[in-house]
Amino acid sequence: MRTDPMQPIESNPGRAVQVGIGWRHPHYAQLLEERPKLDFLEVHSENFFAQGGAVMAVLERGRSRYPISLHGVGLSLGSAAGLDTWHLEQLASLVQRIDPVRVSDHASFARGALGSALVHAADLLPLPFTDESLGVLCANVQRVQDRLQRRFMVENLSAYLQWKSAPEHTLGEPAFLNTLAQRSGCALLVDVNNIYVNALNAQLGGHCGDPLAACKDWLDQTTPEHVGELHLAGHSRVNDAHGEIVIDDHGSRVCPPVWELYRYAINRFGAVPTLIEWDTDVPALDTLIDEAARARAIAEQVLVVPA
Amino acid sequence: MNTLERQQQALLAALLEWPAQPAIERLKHFARGVGTDPARGLKAYQANGHMLAERALRAAYPVLEQMLGADSFAELARAFWHAYPPVRGDITVWGDQLAEFLGQSAQLQGEAYLPDVAEAEWALHRCASEPDREGDLATLSLLTTEDPSTLGLTLAPGLVTLSSAWPLASLMLAHREGNPSLEQVGRQLQRPVPQEVVVWRAGFQPRLRLAMAGEALLLRALQAGLALEHAVEAAEGLDFSHWLPLAVQSGLVLGASRTDRSIAAPGLD
Repeated sequence: MRTDPMQPIESNPGRAVQVGIGWRHPHYAQLLEERPKLDFLEVHSENFFAQGGAVMAVLERGRSRYPISLHGVGLSLGSAAGLDTWHLEQLASLVQRIDPVRVSDHASFARGALGSALVHAADLLPLPFTDESLGVLCANVQRVQDRLQRRFMVENLSAYLQWKSAPEHTLGEPAFLNTLAQRSGCALLVDVNNIYVNALNAQLGGHCGDPLAACKDWLDQTTPEHVGELHLAGHSRVNDAHGEIVIDDHGSRVCPPVWELYRYAINRFGAVPTLIEWDTDVPALDTLIDEAARARAIAEQVLVVPA
Repeated sequence: MNTLERQQQALLAALLEWPAQPAIERLKHFARGVGTDPARGLKAYQANGHMLAERALRAAYPVLEQMLGADSFAELARAFWHAYPPVRGDITVWGDQLAEFLGQSAQLQGEAYLPDVAEAEWALHRCASEPDREGDLATLSLLTTEDPSTLGLTLAPGLVTLSSAWPLASLMLAHREGNPSLEQVGRQLQRPVPQEVVVWRAGFQPRLRLAMAGEALLLRALQAGLALEHAVEAAEGLDFSHWLPLAVQSGLVLGASRTDRSIAAPGLD
């Protein structure tokens, strides 16, 4: 299937933003019981590859009450070794079973050769922003869309390594992702926190003077029509014997600069569905609901149409 | 090999090979880490991999963690991560070769029952995600009206039988349920008695217990497709009329069905 690039994506400019939270194990029962007002739930696809059992039953109950956004971490879309057919089939089976509102994964790789074996590093490893890498990513995303028969979304990473590629072969990240969306017809999932984490790390390395300005520039370079979902999360600063680095650990509230960037993103992209992610030291459900309410309030402020 | 393949293989080697230093040196040709030190970024990925390995194995092997202690178990998880790295993007299916890895460990030769414990825990872990199976207990009335050479039993999802040279059921139950006591298991280990265990899923709950005499033979025969009559014949020592109500009550048997299989098979033990 060649997805029609002109097909509308899930954002709805001029209307209310849809806000959801990441639904994790500590809140499975409570959320089903209390049914807070949320527009969708996000789950990690791989946590539900089971063919049956308690976990799948929980997801099906959640699906009966909320739209589900399936967000993967293991497809390895940028792998030069290609996609794992087993993984793609598991995802296709889950998509058929849950009928999610959106399906996504990352512009990353984890699968490749180690000696004579194909392995998977179970992480979101960065891609070089080169033509060669873009070709592989486009082909793999197209294969996913052909199999799922739906538009896929691809998320930008927080990256802790930078590839040394010849400058003439290197694109900027927004240009890389815009081209991916144009060529494959996929949508982009813009993680605002990831952009900020990358800018903070660039600052630590002496490559960025003003992280907030760099992030706004990143958002300005991203084509609004491609953006299908926004992610917000917390990060942490680690300073140990190995040096200082900012880690995208999804373990705290969204920080003020990222809220500012979210306001900027909504202003530029319109009412794009927005997710609050929290995966480390998951707090009380009320905290997530509170973060979601804040995102909704900011979006409503930005999107208000004068009478 | 193109540039992208070389870049990706270099990073995978730096993360998964052990010792890692030669691969890290090769990676420097391709990449530098972010943060205040060029090596800091790679450390972040290495730490994440090790943390994920510990978390994934802790979820699948809680009894082993109790037996080894948290620190030794974490060390085991990190060593296993490098010796048998994941091959799938679903971390919950990683860890199936831990029993083999434990069997090869020179440090753990004094605890030779650990591979069997790992095998039992993996069976429990996997049965939790097996496809659901609908049962119909009313179909058990077929056992009173039909020729048993034309019948089969519907068995619980995730059913596995394991034979061990060690008191495997006692080891597992002592750590999972507190009965028998660890002192009793310690005495059993001094003069080990072989035990067989049955693992299955009752509803959504993975279960494990000591197999009754002949029960493992019966279940293996049924899983191999033998008709009930021949499976019972193979289950030497099992009182079927005593076993069946217990198996139904515990969710091990979900129903009966007609089958065209009436073959008798050679020994299944």
